[in-house]
Amino acid sequence: MAYSNRFIMFLIVLFAAVGTGFFSYAGQDLERLDPWAFDSPRRPGAVFSHDDHIFLLDDDCSVCHHVYENGELIPDESSEDLYCSDCHSLKPMPDNPMPLEAAYHNLCRDCHFDRGEGPVLCGECHVKE
Amino acid sequence: MNSFIAFIMGPMVWISVIIFLGGLIFKLVGILGAVRQKEPYIYSYVTLKHSLRSIGAWLIPFFPRSARLSPVYYGISYLFHILLFLVPLFLASHIVLINEAFQISWPALNDSVADVLTLGVIAALIFFAVRRIRVPEVKYLTGAMDYLLILVVLLPFLTGFLAYHQWVAYQWITVIHILSGELMLIIIPFSRFSHMLNAPLTRAYMGSEFGHVRQARDW
Repeated sequence: MAYSNRFIMFLIVLFAAVGTGFFSYAGQDLERLDPWAFDSPRRPGAVFSHDDHIFLLDDDCSVCHHVYENGELIPDESSEDLYCSDCHSLKPMPDNPMPLEAAYHNLCRDCHFDRGEGPVLCGECHVKE
Repeated sequence: MNSFIAFIMGPMVWISVIIFLGGLIFKLVGILGAVRQKEPYIYSYVTLKHSLRSIGAWLIPFFPRSARLSPVYYGISYLFHILLFLVPLFLASHIVLINEAFQISWPALNDSVADVLTLGVIAALIFFAVRRIRVPEVKYLTGAMDYLLILVVLLPFLTGFLAYHQWVAYQWITVIHILSGELMLIIIPFSRFSHMLNAPLTRAYMGSEFGHVRQARDW
């Protein structure tokens, strides 16, 4: 009896330890984009490490922080001082037909496809919280 | 892996849609040609009015007599066919992809609602499988291909459900989701799924034969 009680205690402690380890791993804070500019986002913000991308793009900020004028990409101009949502509105507009959501999706996913690395499927970026 | 995903999300979608639509058109031309060759007099009494009247009557829930004779099977089958189209076509994640490809968009189902409806589709498919095992007169007509086809429909819905929840092996589940959806489209013209074309044609023929020639109802 005493033996089986101790064994059950051992199992409880073991499961608690493994469980704590698992959930602290699963629930670890991933660095994400803050979807504040969206009215009612259906998905959690995309997992994104700014530092990693600065490193991967050799400090060329303009790859993402681009500048378009009259639908043309202006080379070597960058826009770090702006929010994405300063130019991209939620719905397509005459002056900028690329809405915010599609801007993110196209920029991230197309680059990941072109480079053959990085997440490309919905849930690989929008990891459940 | 990304180049493989790019292929199944890009060219493979076009290949699937072309085989699906092209296959059905090819089949339609074949059927109409065969009728012209073997029983051309059918064309003399098929009318649009009687065709649409019959199709319409069979679209009204529990209106045809045979539907009322087996209400459970008919009811589940009726809902299943609606959900089969409604859920994938009005799923937010699918609309996002279509919007980015073609700049067109339409209202989406709430994700939680779509989640429950997906379970409804899966439950209906399980019902169809059990029915084929349990009901003697259906079992008699059932072959391995019938179970395989249930699996072909089950896969995209099951993997879609799993992918949405991101429980296990997200990347693989999603790859199987995309591939199984394309497989289902490709299989339609070459399997009994082609009843999406044959069913309205049958109703057009029956509706005209009964409605126009015999002056009777066919529902």
